[in-house]
Amino acid sequence: MALKGLDIFKLTPKTNCKECGSPTCMAFSMKVAQGAVDISKCPHMSEEAMATLSEATAPPMKTIKVGTGDAEYTLGGETVLARHEKTFVSKPRFAVRVTPDMDVDAALAEANKVDYDRIGERMHAEMVYVECNGDAAAFVEAVKKVTGKGKTIVLACKDADAAKAALDVCKAEKPILNGADASNYEKMVELAKEAGVVLGVSGADINELYDTAAAIEKLGYKDLVLDTTGATIKETFATTVQVRRACLAKEPDRTFGYPSIVNLSKIAPNDEAMQISLASVFVLKYGSIIVMDTMNYARGLALFGLRQNVYTDPQKPMKVEPGIYPLNGGDENSVVLTTVDFALTYFVVSGELERSGVPCNLVISDAGGLSVLTAWAAGKLSSTSVSKFIKEEVEPKVKSRKLIIPGKVAVLKGDIEAKLEGWQVIVAPNEAVQLVKFLKDLQASGEI
Amino acid sequence: MGKFVVIGERLSATAPSVNKAFTERDPQPIIQRAKQQLDAGAYYLDVNIGPAENDGPELMKWAVQLLQSEFDNVPLALDTANKAAIEAGISVYNRSKGKPIVNSADAAGRIEYIDLAAANDAIVIALCNGEGIAKDNDERMMYCQTMLERGLEHGMDASDLWFDPLFLVIKGMQDKQMQILECIKMLSDMELNSTGGLSNNSNGMPKHIRPIMDSAMVAMCMMCGLTSAIVNPNDLRLMETIKSCDIIKDNTLYADSYLEI
Amino acid sequence: MPFNGKSGKFNASINAVEVGCGEKAIKLGGENVLPFYTFDAPIENSPKVGVMISDLGLENEPAGVKAYYEGCTTMADIAKKAAAMPGADFVCLKLESADPNGQDKSVEDCMAVVKEVVDAIDVPLVIAGCKNVAKDADLLTKASEVAQGKNAIILSAKEEDYKGIGAAAGLAYNQKVGAESAVDINLAKQLNVLISQLGVAPSNIVMNVGTAAVGYGFEYVVSTMDRIKAAALSQDDKQLQMPIITPVADEAWNVKEAMASEEDMPEWGDQEARGVGMEVSTAASVLASGSNAVILKHPTSVATISKMIKELM
Repeated sequence: MALKGLDIFKLTPKTNCKECGSPTCMAFSMKVAQGAVDISKCPHMSEEAMATLSEATAPPMKTIKVGTGDAEYTLGGETVLARHEKTFVSKPRFAVRVTPDMDVDAALAEANKVDYDRIGERMHAEMVYVECNGDAAAFVEAVKKVTGKGKTIVLACKDADAAKAALDVCKAEKPILNGADASNYEKMVELAKEAGVVLGVSGADINELYDTAAAIEKLGYKDLVLDTTGATIKETFATTVQVRRACLAKEPDRTFGYPSIVNLSKIAPNDEAMQISLASVFVLKYGSIIVMDTMNYARGLALFGLRQNVYTDPQKPMKVEPGIYPLNGGDENSVVLTTVDFALTYFVVSGELERSGVPCNLVISDAGGLSVLTAWAAGKLSSTSVSKFIKEEVEPKVKSRKLIIPGKVAVLKGDIEAKLEGWQVIVAPNEAVQLVKFLKDLQASGEI
Repeated sequence: MGKFVVIGERLSATAPSVNKAFTERDPQPIIQRAKQQLDAGAYYLDVNIGPAENDGPELMKWAVQLLQSEFDNVPLALDTANKAAIEAGISVYNRSKGKPIVNSADAAGRIEYIDLAAANDAIVIALCNGEGIAKDNDERMMYCQTMLERGLEHGMDASDLWFDPLFLVIKGMQDKQMQILECIKMLSDMELNSTGGLSNNSNGMPKHIRPIMDSAMVAMCMMCGLTSAIVNPNDLRLMETIKSCDIIKDNTLYADSYLEI
Repeated sequence: MPFNGKSGKFNASINAVEVGCGEKAIKLGGENVLPFYTFDAPIENSPKVGVMISDLGLENEPAGVKAYYEGCTTMADIAKKAAAMPGADFVCLKLESADPNGQDKSVEDCMAVVKEVVDAIDVPLVIAGCKNVAKDADLLTKASEVAQGKNAIILSAKEEDYKGIGAAAGLAYNQKVGAESAVDINLAKQLNVLISQLGVAPSNIVMNVGTAAVGYGFEYVVSTMDRIKAAALSQDDKQLQMPIITPVADEAWNVKEAMASEEDMPEWGDQEARGVGMEVSTAASVLASGSNAVILKHPTSVATISKMIKELM
């Protein structure tokens, strides 16, 4: 984060000695802030001031890497509190909770049933959260069962001996050791340092969390995540929000500049609908790792969709792959509809088509991820682009010669018909919501 | 960034009718002018009672109470060379709609107005000049630094010092205009607030030219980061320009009716 | 050194709008902090949960909804049962049967339903149209009259029809005007300006700024609400200080995730659980982004979201 001229000015001697070459300390500060002059040009900066400056230029929230290989994930590194200000960078990850008294293999297998692709992104629970319930041997057995399964492991264990035994099993996979608190942090830091893993810190309340994190930083360990789970839903939300807000404040408090862990199995045990609701809240408000009882489609379809939306870069449109998407059992004889590859358009249109129940082929060509009118204006949705795609990709695979085009580009009808021999072009209504009736009417009249 | 702060300049003892009303403690003309300015979109009102050597404190109190009771504690800039009058005004001032503004301090003889603002948790307009007009921006920034330091020493937030680069008249100092804009840019780069009597630039120009020149000036100044100005809010073209610039700068959210609100 | 958190309390606040009458009246809005930030300042009026019922009856509803209303034969029965749903603060009657592309019932027929529901319940009421602009103009104007004395929210007045509906609901019959825009922050503000210019007091306006189901361009919904609350609270933009009401049920239950049957998507599992998942996720998300009320339909969703709100307050 760049320092502002005023912040630098406050640290200068304010003597206007001109030795730096600037007429005033203020002018000098401005040049430093712009990067035009190095701070060392001032011979009178105190050591303390220099330390404050170097501290102030560090990023406010650390970027933490966990896991290895395909299961390596980046957490943190955020710079804004709301996505419209810039963009969120590290999407929250979902962890499935297991305990030694469960059938761990079965629990993992159940959660792994959810593993699919949505607009080029793999959707699955990326992490497993293994909780120690006091029996070290059973804990280690459970850890063995989750090791080598392609999931990043979070060890929830406050007992140093059990933690050490578990780390011996899985440390090569770069797990997180979520176990430091006010009573044991010295031992835990030692363990984490030795194994080279990220340490999770918790506290009885936000103040204890703060003090413990500060104490751990003093020991020189800064590969941390903060377990912001409190005794209640309310406390958990308050702590999670305040931690993020403190580190991204105008004057950042870097002691809270770490990713978070929110354990929904603790604050909303065995309540699927509540866990989905709260997971949604924490996807929006500052959860980095969200722990739940399990993963299934009722949870995943909603949460992965939400996460994908919120963690898109506002500058880059979401695009779907060009191709032929058969809907409602559409086959080679079903009517062809075309629209752009902007993900939102695709979802809205395909949703309405599905609601109509009419078998059809939705054809998506590359339109630069823009909406219909924008793509048309930019020349990315033209009679040439549509007819070329139909000729090359659709004609070999589909026998129907009826093409429905978006109402907003009705002007293309004549040109497309001229370019596509044998095709009949039908103009759809302007709005997607009108598609259901439109298609049903076409079907009823026998036109398609 | 916040919305551009328009300080209405029309309650000034330099206008004979206002001066007469102040002298006679006649509320009607004062209220009428205040209302015209507020209706047109002024946020602060400048209350310039002149030097008021004899009855300054009493007059300022009267004006502050009159305006604030009539217009829901409208925030005011207290404008006089009489320090005791400013203090008296602040003593009866209700700050629920905004801190009082002390108008004004400079880096020389009037530097104590900064102390006065600091002691009263007020905003101060800080003129970037010492004895006479600054010759260039190095000098302006030196005055700025002197006043900023003084304010910080007395515990003020930097944001409560609103620096005035001192607008210069185009007819006569045309070649200095870009300097003023650069000065505003420098203040803005330092994240400092700025204001000033912007319409001074068009002094002496034909009446029908002034709104055009003032509008162009305010747009260029806002581009450079000017955060406030002391102007005539009943200049429709100027106010429309300010509202439009606030939209372009994303200081206010656009709606088709933005000029009406 | 203990943690020194700065309060995020604002000097401006959202308007508090009272809906309904008597003991069961509710207040939407009034807060001067971001959603659920009770650690910054107390939030006097918690967000509210409404139950949506349609004058098309229960035929198209999921099994869990049908089961809840079992035995109800009239709209009055359904409305009473909806009002009694655990966690419900208000009822939203949707006059879907008026849709010219559907049953195209007459306005008079629909008013009989409104009357029936108005007489049946004493909880606050929201009356929603059929989404056909031409029909709604007439439908909601009449509904404002029929529901006189209920202090209901008329959902909604849009850019195309705000004059008639705004004047009827907000001026003639003392209802609350629901100003509807579709995830467009500038239009949301403009509608508030226009409806205010009709003479409707700000305290009689609520906004429906639109939503989508999660996964369906929901980032626009989040950013629209975030920016509205930022303008209202940090810039004190009075034209955006109206509380937000968000009908969630229609969006959440109308996407593939909730509509695909188990036969079509066997690996997806229980269809109703997926629908509830979409509904609660969308509801929780709009609440976390600044909605002061949500409208849902499934009893599990209503109970869950209402509990979540209580837990967070």
